[in-house]
Amino acid sequence: MTSPPVSPGGPPPAAGSAPRLDRLELDLDVFAGPFDLLLSLILREELDLLEVELADVVVAYLDHLQAREELDLEAATEFLVLIAALLELKSRLMLPGEELPELDELAPAEAAEELLERMLQYARFRGAGGWLAERHESEQGHLYRAAPLPDALRRAPLEAARAAYESALLGQALGGLLRTPPPIDVSHLTTPRVSLADRLGVLRGLLRRGAFSFDEAVEGADRVTVAVTLFALLELYKGGEAAWEQAEPFGEIMVHGAAPGPAAARAAAAVRRDAASRTVPTRRDAASRMVPTRRDAASRTVPS
Amino acid sequence: MTGLARLVEALLFLAPDPVGVDELADALQAGEEDVREALGELRHALGGRGVVLRELAGGWALASHPDAEEGARRLLARPRTPSLTPAQAETLSIVAYLQPVSRPEVARIRGVASESATAALTDRGLIEESGRSQFGAILYRTTPLFLTLFGLNTVDDLPDPVGWDPSPEDEAALRERLLRAGDERAQRTT
Repeated sequence: MTSPPVSPGGPPPAAGSAPRLDRLELDLDVFAGPFDLLLSLILREELDLLEVELADVVVAYLDHLQAREELDLEAATEFLVLIAALLELKSRLMLPGEELPELDELAPAEAAEELLERMLQYARFRGAGGWLAERHESEQGHLYRAAPLPDALRRAPLEAARAAYESALLGQALGGLLRTPPPIDVSHLTTPRVSLADRLGVLRGLLRRGAFSFDEAVEGADRVTVAVTLFALLELYKGGEAAWEQAEPFGEIMVHGAAPGPAAARAAAAVRRDAASRTVPTRRDAASRMVPTRRDAASRTVPS
Repeated sequence: MTGLARLVEALLFLAPDPVGVDELADALQAGEEDVREALGELRHALGGRGVVLRELAGGWALASHPDAEEGARRLLARPRTPSLTPAQAETLSIVAYLQPVSRPEVARIRGVASESATAALTDRGLIEESGRSQFGAILYRTTPLFLTLFGLNTVDDLPDPVGWDPSPEDEAALRERLLRAGDERAQRTT
């Protein structure tokens, strides 16, 4: 691989002069990956990606493809990966604070060290890769016996092999897989349920006595009850029956009654009617329901 | 040639894959030391012939001399396998030196996703899956075919990769430039 020499040299480009792409020598066989390109750019002091028009790179590449008059799919794919990486890199550069998160937390000197470490590691494997590619070429001169061992010398000649299994057995096994097994009857299982209507009742009872904390409402309850209670609280909030606040994350949630406006009151009444009019669904009903509608939510029961 | 060297030659002529010294000793009912000696003798006897004796992939094999390559490829209608692309070469080197290694690790070192290179190397039979990492990523290692195609006896025969590290001067220059680039960016963003 004829990657650019790892030796800095030449004066830095004049301040303000945008790097010209023709000086990038866009020989894509040379660049094996974004790090490779980045490394080369840094060594030529042409790092400022912000000033590189990536569209020009694409156009230059298309010209390059046209000149070659054949589409090398492998190289084209590599180019796509490379240009995508460069685009991402450039967009990150243009958005302050949107840098590599792992490098972002480090001081500039540490970040440079980290990047240097990675580049050195990369350079090592790029070198080893080059050696392997050359070795692959030079070793192709040797050819090895490709013919299989003569039959007579094989431990188990194909002619001597006998079928060890009946083909009917295979058919049977496959047939068993193709039949749909009968559904398993689970009607004897009881599933404890927590209904939304119940929890709405509990919350309304607490509200009548004034403000309360969410922890009080779910004291000693299991996870499902806590979840359904929270859902009930959301329903109350939606209906304008209750308001809640939390001073800080993970802090206590205080719930208090809200003075419902006319619209909220109507909505609250509707919710209440809705919840009251619906009976707890039967087990079969709940099991067969796939996608609950919003109206359903008021009467849905949740298995624990 | 001694009798044993002639027998070793015959067995290697028949064998489709490299044969280990232990296998030869077992097949010929001879001591491993004697087999090694016979192999040395065979190698010497094959000097200047169209067939060469090679030690690779943990065993010994007869191969055609590179001079015969062109004719052999025409005879067998077997073209050369395509060269490794730079991406494949890099990926292969990382797998070869760090095996078993996961694809995310390869991607971290190369700075680019390496799905296609890994898939191509797997298709070429140079690398294979070897279990899962503790995080569930598929691990890769090189295959015996890799050793054969690259003329290596074991992966330990790979040259020390430290030889490809940039010189201390280049490293210092690189560090300096990275620091400068970092400072410039810091100034821009503040």
